[in-house]
Amino acid sequence: MLFNSYIFIFAFLPAILIGYFGLNRFGKDKLAKSWLLLCSLFFYSYWNINYLPLILGSIIVNFALTNRLQSELCQNRKLWFFLGLGFNLGLLGFFKYADFFLANVNFVFSTDIQYLRFLLPLGISFFTLQQVAYLVDAYEGVAGEKKFIDYALFVSFFPQLIAGPIVHYSEMMPQLASKENKRFNSSNFSLGLYIFILGLFKKVIFADTFAGWANDGFAPDADLHFFHAWGASLSYMFQLYFDFSGYSDMAIGLGRMMNIQLPENFNSPYKARNIVEFWSRWHITLTNFITTYVFTPLVRSMPKMSFGFMMLSSFLAMTVAGIWHGAGWTFVVYGMWHGAGIVCTHWWKRRKIKLPYWFSWLITFNFVNISFIMFRATDLSTAFNFYKGMLGLNGVVFPKGILAKETIIEVGMKVGHYMTNDENLNLFMVVLGIWVCLKAKNSMQLMSDFKPSQTLAFKTAGMFVLCVFGLNKLSEFIYFNF
Amino acid sequence: MDRSEVMQKQTQILRDIFGDPNLVVTEDTSANDVDGWDSIAHMQVISTLEKEFKVRFALGELQSLKNVGEMANLILKKI
Repeated sequence: MLFNSYIFIFAFLPAILIGYFGLNRFGKDKLAKSWLLLCSLFFYSYWNINYLPLILGSIIVNFALTNRLQSELCQNRKLWFFLGLGFNLGLLGFFKYADFFLANVNFVFSTDIQYLRFLLPLGISFFTLQQVAYLVDAYEGVAGEKKFIDYALFVSFFPQLIAGPIVHYSEMMPQLASKENKRFNSSNFSLGLYIFILGLFKKVIFADTFAGWANDGFAPDADLHFFHAWGASLSYMFQLYFDFSGYSDMAIGLGRMMNIQLPENFNSPYKARNIVEFWSRWHITLTNFITTYVFTPLVRSMPKMSFGFMMLSSFLAMTVAGIWHGAGWTFVVYGMWHGAGIVCTHWWKRRKIKLPYWFSWLITFNFVNISFIMFRATDLSTAFNFYKGMLGLNGVVFPKGILAKETIIEVGMKVGHYMTNDENLNLFMVVLGIWVCLKAKNSMQLMSDFKPSQTLAFKTAGMFVLCVFGLNKLSEFIYFNF
Repeated sequence: MDRSEVMQKQTQILRDIFGDPNLVVTEDTSANDVDGWDSIAHMQVISTLEKEFKVRFALGELQSLKNVGEMANLILKKI
């Protein structure tokens, strides 16, 4: 079920809230939690019920394994730990990476092995990560004790189940167990509703509008001359940001309605002035996970703690982060590109190289733009064709409004429509996107400034109405594919 | 070892790592307050603390360390 659908907003959400707070009101807190779990699983199965056993199996096996690790009688802890790690990575590998692996085997050995062609189980990358973190902590003896229902809810809580924010059990479990949180809280509810609508607005009004131009640009038959390539790549950059941060806002808002605080996931990433800063602002919960559970063990496993080995660890950790997004060489390159960006940043810092403010912003922004083309392209050659377009190697068609039109035509160059549709609106939206990303307050700032008032209620209601009219074109979130 | 000794040692370690002999370190000092305290410097801080106090932090503990005071708490728990 999509957050941006009528059925979710007008049926599922009210039902879940009334059931949850109603049962709690009558002191049936176990039943209330079961209701929340049941609804979360229903929410998951609504897309494809075939994958319900998969997530249930993953929860049950992880619960049993970590219980074993946490028991004092457990011998061979290492064995059980690696069994658990193998189970989680195996599940992810089988459903997400098997065909990629087979394609490479077929290519290298000129074989013709049949692909498995599984439909990617929704949210598998996310719920696997959360459980791996719990498993590692249980092995190291720092994960708290748990009840099955709390654990199952921590993994499957519907706001963050499909695309994050990735939560650490230590931030979730105490909140799920707290008595205070079971009562309906009107200030949490209004704040949650406000953030949910902000996120919905980002998705429906911004992301889905940019999507049109981005999809045109990445279509197989796209004519990517200079201005078109730039317009389409910038459109994708804004689509991705508004789509993913909108989703995170909606998740955070939904959590808040139920008195659960989910962690911040975005903090104006396009303001970043280097790649290290970018990752501290973009998909923050993923960065935290990668730093803690991939980068740190890598550094610890290196022969010594030198700058060089730390850089190697950063590079490898970012490559892992890249592959986590998807099974394909484009994602490998995406991760390595960002890894290289991080290494460069640290190296420059050490050399005390300082750039002017605007210049460091400009190269970071474009560095990210280039990486997102790789991220979006279906294969490497599509991405390289896009880069050719941006460099003007596929020709230039000048916008109609350009000065000195006659001279341009005289020297034999083209003037005309440079995008398939609405190029003036595209230009306006890109400028607006830049303004919003650099100058407007982000959702987290708006959240901390939140003061309920009539004016704000009218504004929010207005935004909601606009969104509801825009909902008739259902569109999935980009991060559902990972 | 008591808390003030731990804090004193921590202060010295941070001053060495960030090359600033006058660095003021309080319970609330966090990575955001110190110029150059990024993920790389953080690894140095963690591993130097581990060596100095002869403790080992679990991965899951690292994520919750928000400031110097919390680090001191964790170290005191472990030694």
